[in-house]
Amino acid sequence: MQKLMMIVLWALASAMVIMLITLPISLETQLVAGMSVLFAMMILKLLRPDGIWRLIALAFGTAIVMRYVYWRSTSTLPPLNQPENFIPGFLLYLAEMYSVLMLALSLFVVAQPLAPRPARVRSADDDLPSVDVFIPTYNEEPELLANTMAAAKAMDYPPDKLTVWLLDDGGTLQKRNSEKIGEANAAERRHAELQKLAADLGVIYLTRDRNEHAKAGNLNNGLLHSRGELVAVFDADHAPARDFLQETVGYFGEDPRLFLVQTPHFFLNPDPVERNLRTFEKMPSENEMFYGVIQRGLDKWNASFFCGSAAVLRRGALMETDGFSGISITEDCETAVELHSRGWNSIYVDKPLIAGLQPATFASFIGQRSRWAQGMMQILRFRFPPMKRGLSLAQRLCYASSTLFWLFPFPRTIFLIAPLFYLFFDLQIFTASGGEFLAYTLTYMIVNLMMQNYLYGAFRWPWISELYEYVQTVHLLPAVVSVIVNPRKPTFKVTAKDESIATSRISEIGMPFFIIFGVLVLGVAMTVYKVYAEPFKADVTLVVGGWNIINLIIAGCALGVVSERGEKAASRRVKVSRRCDFKIGNQWLKGTIEDVSVNGARVLVFGAGMDEFAKGNVSELRFKRFADGTEGVLPVTVRNFERTADSIAVGCHYFPSEANHHRLIADLLFANSRQWEQFQLSRRGNPGLIRGTVRFLRLALFQTYRGLFYLWRSIRSKPASTEVATKVAERRA
Amino acid sequence: MKRSACTLGIILAMAGTAVAQMQPFDMSPERSLSSETSTPSLSKPVPSEAPAPGMPVEPLAAPQTVPVSTEPARRYIIPSPEFVLAGEHARRSWSIYLTPEQAASGASINLGYQNAIVVAPEISRLRVTLNGTRLIDSPVASPGTSSGLKADIPDGLLRAGLNDITIESSQRHRTDCTIESTYELWTQIEPSETFLTFDNPDAMRWRRVEDIRAVGVNGSGRTTFNLVAPSMQQATATPGIVRLAQSVALMANMPNQSFDVSEATTRPAMQGDANVIVGTASDLAGILTTLPPGSETAPTIAMIDDPRLGPSNLVVTGPTWEMVSAAVGSLGQQVDRPLEIQRTYLATRPWRTPDVPMLFGAARLKFSDLGIGTLEFSGRRVRTDFAVGVPADFYANAYGETTILLDAAYSQEVLPGSSIDVYVNDNIAATVPITTSGGEILRHLPIKVTMRHFKPGENTIAIEAVLRTKADEVCAPGATALDNGRFVIFDSSEFVMPDYARIGRTPELGGLSGTGFPYGRADNPVALVMDRTQPETLSAATTLLARIAVQAGRLIDVDTVASAAALVGRNALFVTTISQTPPVVLAQLGIGDESRASWGETVASIRPDTQTTFDQWRDRLRGSGWRGQVSRFEEWVNRTFNVTVDTFRIFRSEAPPFVPGGNASLLVASNFNAGGEGTWTLVTAPTVGALREGMDELTSQSGWAELRGHITTFGSATGSVSRIPAEQIEFIETVPYSFSNFRLIAANWLSSNALAYGLAVTVLCIFLGLATAGLLGTFGRRR
Repeated sequence: MQKLMMIVLWALASAMVIMLITLPISLETQLVAGMSVLFAMMILKLLRPDGIWRLIALAFGTAIVMRYVYWRSTSTLPPLNQPENFIPGFLLYLAEMYSVLMLALSLFVVAQPLAPRPARVRSADDDLPSVDVFIPTYNEEPELLANTMAAAKAMDYPPDKLTVWLLDDGGTLQKRNSEKIGEANAAERRHAELQKLAADLGVIYLTRDRNEHAKAGNLNNGLLHSRGELVAVFDADHAPARDFLQETVGYFGEDPRLFLVQTPHFFLNPDPVERNLRTFEKMPSENEMFYGVIQRGLDKWNASFFCGSAAVLRRGALMETDGFSGISITEDCETAVELHSRGWNSIYVDKPLIAGLQPATFASFIGQRSRWAQGMMQILRFRFPPMKRGLSLAQRLCYASSTLFWLFPFPRTIFLIAPLFYLFFDLQIFTASGGEFLAYTLTYMIVNLMMQNYLYGAFRWPWISELYEYVQTVHLLPAVVSVIVNPRKPTFKVTAKDESIATSRISEIGMPFFIIFGVLVLGVAMTVYKVYAEPFKADVTLVVGGWNIINLIIAGCALGVVSERGEKAASRRVKVSRRCDFKIGNQWLKGTIEDVSVNGARVLVFGAGMDEFAKGNVSELRFKRFADGTEGVLPVTVRNFERTADSIAVGCHYFPSEANHHRLIADLLFANSRQWEQFQLSRRGNPGLIRGTVRFLRLALFQTYRGLFYLWRSIRSKPASTEVATKVAERRA
Repeated sequence: MKRSACTLGIILAMAGTAVAQMQPFDMSPERSLSSETSTPSLSKPVPSEAPAPGMPVEPLAAPQTVPVSTEPARRYIIPSPEFVLAGEHARRSWSIYLTPEQAASGASINLGYQNAIVVAPEISRLRVTLNGTRLIDSPVASPGTSSGLKADIPDGLLRAGLNDITIESSQRHRTDCTIESTYELWTQIEPSETFLTFDNPDAMRWRRVEDIRAVGVNGSGRTTFNLVAPSMQQATATPGIVRLAQSVALMANMPNQSFDVSEATTRPAMQGDANVIVGTASDLAGILTTLPPGSETAPTIAMIDDPRLGPSNLVVTGPTWEMVSAAVGSLGQQVDRPLEIQRTYLATRPWRTPDVPMLFGAARLKFSDLGIGTLEFSGRRVRTDFAVGVPADFYANAYGETTILLDAAYSQEVLPGSSIDVYVNDNIAATVPITTSGGEILRHLPIKVTMRHFKPGENTIAIEAVLRTKADEVCAPGATALDNGRFVIFDSSEFVMPDYARIGRTPELGGLSGTGFPYGRADNPVALVMDRTQPETLSAATTLLARIAVQAGRLIDVDTVASAAALVGRNALFVTTISQTPPVVLAQLGIGDESRASWGETVASIRPDTQTTFDQWRDRLRGSGWRGQVSRFEEWVNRTFNVTVDTFRIFRSEAPPFVPGGNASLLVASNFNAGGEGTWTLVTAPTVGALREGMDELTSQSGWAELRGHITTFGSATGSVSRIPAEQIEFIETVPYSFSNFRLIAANWLSSNALAYGLAVTVLCIFLGLATAGLLGTFGRRR
């Protein structure tokens, strides 16, 4: 009854707002109303940007967006009898309406993200269900796998109820019997090596005959051989923290229909965009918007979905659908859709409990995104969540939001090209005067940015979404088109995460960005020319030119994204501050481990002289394990050292020779999930629209310069750069 | 009205054999009226069943005692005091009414004109077309002095009834090719030297009652009715006199009509004048030499000649005032329109052909139906216009937009930077820049035209193309003569009127100006308050009511009320001098009581108009220095968004009482009355003379169009008009409630009260936010 009343009340409010919004009011009133709303939103943001006030501010924004849509639909489309204007004009209109639709869906999804859940109280050991941990692998290096397996084994859980499985798809019978002798030998070697490593770490090694259905098939093979009530899945590079199962398993006892507990993916290293822009330390990562807000929002509507790793699933539920679904190349989301539609529930725990690696190069980053985009398109095509039976209305909307999002390359492309239509070909694809642009479009754009800021402020800074979408669009557009044309064609490609970039260079797929940038610069030149040559339409020219300049700024920033920086440290360092002993000669000296990475650590050693160190020395590092308090000794080699105020800072490289050493490295790196959380929190913070825009402008300016500088350098030394490119290409192959 | 006139013509043609110098027009007062009142276009001839027993109606051949001048008779044809054809292309079309005798007579046309010296005679033409036949096609070659053109009208071209005249000019500059130079081109037609001449001197004599439609204009474009009413001072006579004046005004329907009411006159009617004599038979005995037959027994309407008054006097009489009223009523019957029947067009042909269509809602009109033909043009600036009418409850000024779907083309030589502009009532309302070179055919190009400048009644919409070309930039000798078509507007273009908000407002003099609102819609008689003892006041009131009736397209009943107290809750019109106006009326209309004493004392001395002087100084100082830049930005904002300080007012304060300035000679004010049930309108001046003169100016076509807002003042010395907009407006429902109309009314109100819209959005958004919060609290996971 109360529900019905709430719906009626809300429908009434909406109807009234819509009625007011669709009045054909004058330009002057629109301007005044737009300004009042902007003003109200600003005041609300300054005073109380949360709770009910946030919803009121969003209602304000919605009103302006709806007014824009109404105006855009009723007064700006070119006449039908001018097809040369109408067709591109209508495409632009569709692109804008798509953006508005996505905004509407986002509003629904993140209307009220669930607050982080309180920590679980550990229940008695006897009640705990048995857990199988799956670590699917395809071509990852054994060292990487060793860390992950060690971390998985080190999880705080009764050992008799925890089984860790290494599911190797790189050493299958099919691979080992390959016609290509080289590949067959490599697979054989890998099979043997991993088998031994797994055995050393107490992990069960499992492979299969044929590589069918890629990752989904591999996981299903694991299901076939295991018995645990719950299944935890970690990607090869996703090492869990000790408390992973403590934080997640408890929920399954509370809800017998729960099929999934998903946790965020936390990354130790920057993605290529962050690395090349140097924003990793300062700015929230791209995925934090998804894991920090969107998944929490989905969780409110019981629509949080499986992201392929860092999750616990219920075997009983998976059995209902014969394991993981494998029609699409994003088996994770597909499985979740299927189970949600069968009435199973999911929850999301907003606490980083695993740490993984981002792809290192821009090319592999694009490869990863292509897989997601294509997979989501396949789900849209084969499962069509908005109309799927069994899903609640809210879930349908949530899945619509998640899948339709990946159509963004189309509108992005149109937004990029549309101003050029006017500047170069004089096409009138948006019939409005300069004044109308100001009163409607500009207010709409500002309100849009403000709404984004309201929704994602601390997790996504202004213009960063636009940048990410743009850098992906250039290569994602063909990928999405191909999957739409040929939905069964794409195959699962594993994203390479172990590459590194030795020298600074332009990404091998970066050239289109420079070409686009050049065209946009021409557009600016054309704007200037037109303003002087055709003063009678200077107002529209200036508006369109301004739009083109926004595109140019983003495109300029993207030049920096595709200009890969050379890197000394191969992987992300995590600050830890742990007491340790460092061995020099036969003497143990007191020290502090300052930061660690997957390859090495930086240790402050006290009471030693500079002359006691030498590059390449083999030494040992002794520290107490976080897990059980026992001491362990890890062999390291000294890579560099320098004097600080009262100590010597030593950079050292792990030198593991036995399985136990991997456990120590995993303990150093992954034992404490709190340190990841702290790192994430240190980057979060809402700079606000104006400060965020200024920052972005500064960034874009510098990155444009850097991109052009790289281009100039690569032209000057053409042969050298092609050599690097081929090298990388070989590695990837 | 036109139809009714035609019917009347048929009736009389049927009675044709009996037609002689006199045509008594008689009918019984009641019986026939009640059976035929539904529409003015009677399908059956009224007179045929009109005669009641004992009421003789047969026309008597009166002796033709009145000599008519033997000189050829003239009829002036220019319906306005000034008539200028400006620019490279100009065209004016209107119609004149001819009696059958005039149509049958041999005739010629005279055209007196003068043109600007810069008009190149060898390539400029002046053309006159009558009923589709070109009569004059002559070079424009009369700079300096006025000269005349004369052409004989072929026999059979003229017809009884309305005849269409078109004067068209095509002018080119002698030397200059700039757009600006086209503004220097003008040809002025002299109204006093432009006329039809009928060979038959008797053609000017009217024989039928409806021949009064041929009253025409005098040499300065005005029409005057000398209304002789011996009993004009009697209160009972007033409604009849007013009704008669309205009927005559509606029949003649000339643009500048005024009434001179007097108790007696000896003046024969001049060109453009008509004598209308009303009274009981005994009253008229002292005025007319011969009374029309039957006037002692029955209501009688007749067109008679009189030795003293000259030919063609309309006499309305009867044995008693009741009978006279009946006669007046039967005359009115011919032109009146029942309230529930909407006009489909405004009868404008005496000054603009074709009749202007009335648009009560969504409509699509082809240019060809609006009087615009396909127009090819080879000059620099071409302007063509049409008119549409909207009712007084038009309420879309703040938000509305109409659309012109323009079919046009321009040639390769037209350069980008040219434009097509649309003007509504001479205010710029839309601009379409031509942005592509190489010529283009525009097919139904939508041009959105703001309705901001629309007003009730007739609205002129002009389309002007301003064409720049390379040839004009070079401007080689003789370049202005080039006759290669540059631009064409096709008559397949359309004017699209959307559904718009309809609600009446008071006070709004614009409604009175447009369609006589609200008096034109009243089903009760309007109270008319005036000083009957003064012929000037009575003339002024009659002139005003005739004008209102013409605007309303129907007769408006009046009654005379003595006390202001009886007026509460009624529609009323006050035509009084300021000192005679009751204080309670002034207070209700927002006019300061001190003006009763102070106004008029300074009117004699011509004081400088402060506002005009201030504007001049502001114009002179505009644009200089940084302050100029700021004010230019302000102007841009104002121009683009129409945002002024006023926009940000929510609650309108009550305006201080208005005191007319010394340079104002006539004041028109309107307001809802104290009871809030009706509208009071006051027309006042310091003296009766000023009131009479001012009324002529007010009711002239140009003056009447200036009427708007809450108060409008006219300055006869300076010719300036100033207006005060209404601060508080009452809405009057004019159409049955419908949601879509309500929505549009809200749109218009909110568009003119921007801050209120902002406030409404704010309140509703807060409500929506709270409702959403409630919804989110009820649905989905909460914890």
